[in-house]
Amino acid sequence: MAGRIRRMIDSVIQQRAVGNPMLEKIIKTKMILKGVNPNKYTLESDDDPVVLEKLERMLRELK
Amino acid sequence: MNIITACSTKNTVDEVVKDINEQLVLFDAKLLLYFASSKYAPDYISRKMQEAFPDSAVFGCSTAGEIISGKMLDDSVVAMAFNAEAINDVKIEVIENLQEEGGVKKAFASFENHFAVPMSEMDSQKYVGIVLVDGLSGAEEGLIETIGDMTNVVFVGGSAGDDLKFTATHLYANGQSYSNAAILALLKPGTEFTFIKTQSFCDLGKILEVTKADEEKRMVYEFNGKPAAVAYAEAVGVSVEEVAKHFMHNPVGLLIEDEPYVRSPQQIKDNGSMAFYCGVGEGMELSLLESTDIIRDTRIAVNQAVKELGKVSGIINFNCILRTLELKQKNLTKEYGEVFSAIPTVGFSTYGEAYIGHINQTATMLVFK
Repeated sequence: MAGRIRRMIDSVIQQRAVGNPMLEKIIKTKMILKGVNPNKYTLESDDDPVVLEKLERMLRELK
Repeated sequence: MNIITACSTKNTVDEVVKDINEQLVLFDAKLLLYFASSKYAPDYISRKMQEAFPDSAVFGCSTAGEIISGKMLDDSVVAMAFNAEAINDVKIEVIENLQEEGGVKKAFASFENHFAVPMSEMDSQKYVGIVLVDGLSGAEEGLIETIGDMTNVVFVGGSAGDDLKFTATHLYANGQSYSNAAILALLKPGTEFTFIKTQSFCDLGKILEVTKADEEKRMVYEFNGKPAAVAYAEAVGVSVEEVAKHFMHNPVGLLIEDEPYVRSPQQIKDNGSMAFYCGVGEGMELSLLESTDIIRDTRIAVNQAVKELGKVSGIINFNCILRTLELKQKNLTKEYGEVFSAIPTVGFSTYGEAYIGHINQTATMLVFK
C-alpha cells in the first residue's frame, strides 16, 4: 500500500493548523523533529507503520 | 511599568530574599519568576521566596549562570515580576517522576479546569507556556514532544542547571524544590508576545545522515554508515583524536527551512559512537555547522522582535550554557549582557532549550510587548 503517510500528513496539518500559516509552519517543524519530513512523502510513498504511528499520535493526542 | 526585574548577589538565602523583596516592595506582583545559582540551598530558597511573595504565583529553577538586564552574572538570583496587567492569569503545575507517563495529561487537565478552555482549542496567540525541566533528567525530548502533540500553545523554556557540577538541578514551585521533575506554567498575558529562537551558526554544506542511533539514550553509533566519530571527524577535517576540541564550534543541526535545530556533541565513546546533548533519530540528515557571531546575531534577533511588536516590555531568556561558555572564552559576556540593557530581561544559562522541540546551543526567548 502507498500514500497513507502523505494523506495523513495533510490531514494533521489541516486539522491542527486550520489554515493558519504560522501554525502550519510550527506543525511541520514538530513533524520533522519527530523524524517525519513532510516534504519527503508523496502519494506514491510506501506506508511505513512507524511513521504512520507517529502521525496517528499527533491526531489522537489533540482530541 | 508592568514588568520589572530584580537581582541579588548576596551570600545567604535570607539576605537574597530580603534584597529582592525590597527591590519589588512597591510592585503588585501577580507572577514572580526567578532563577537562582545552585549555591543556594534549594528547599530553603524556594520556601523563602514563596513566603516573601505570598500573594503571587512564584516559580523558578537552579541555573548555570544568570542573566539580568545588561549583565550576565554568576552566584546570584535574578527575578522578573509581572503585575496583573502584564499577566492576566497564570496556572503552575509540577510534573514529578518524568519517566512515568501521564504527567503532561494531568497538568493539562488542571489548566483546562483553571482556564475553562480545552488545551486542544486554546488560542496560541492568547496563551503561552513556560517549561522548566530538570537538566539532568534526560527526559526533555519526550516531555516537549508530548506537550506539542496535545496543544498548539507554544511552550518555551529551558533545562535547569547546577553551575556545571552535573550532580543535581532543581525546580522551584509551591515553596518546595523538585528534581526529576518539570514545571509547566500556562500564562494568559495581557499583552502581545512573540518568541526568539537564535543560534549563531552557518551551514558548512556537509551532511551527516544518522544511520544507527539510540534516540532515547542520545547516542549516535553511525553517520553515513561509518562509526559516528570517524564520519564526524572526516566532515570537520581533523583526526578522531582531535575532534572533541571542535564540538563547541562545530555542532550539527537539523535544518528546517534553513533554520538549524542544533544537536551538540558531548563525548566520543571508546567504540567510536558519539553521545549528544539531545536525542537524534535514525534517518535524520544533520548538517555540519560552524559558529559565527553570537553578539551580532542576538542583537539582530532582539531588534527584529522589537520591530515586530513595536516595543518590548520584558524578555525571558533561556540561553544555552554552551553559548555562555563560548562568550566567556571570548571575553564577551559584558557585550552579551549589553544587548539587553534597554529591556527588562531575566534569564539563565541552561542545560538545554525548549522551543517546539528540545534543542542545544540556542537561546530561546519569550518576548512581551
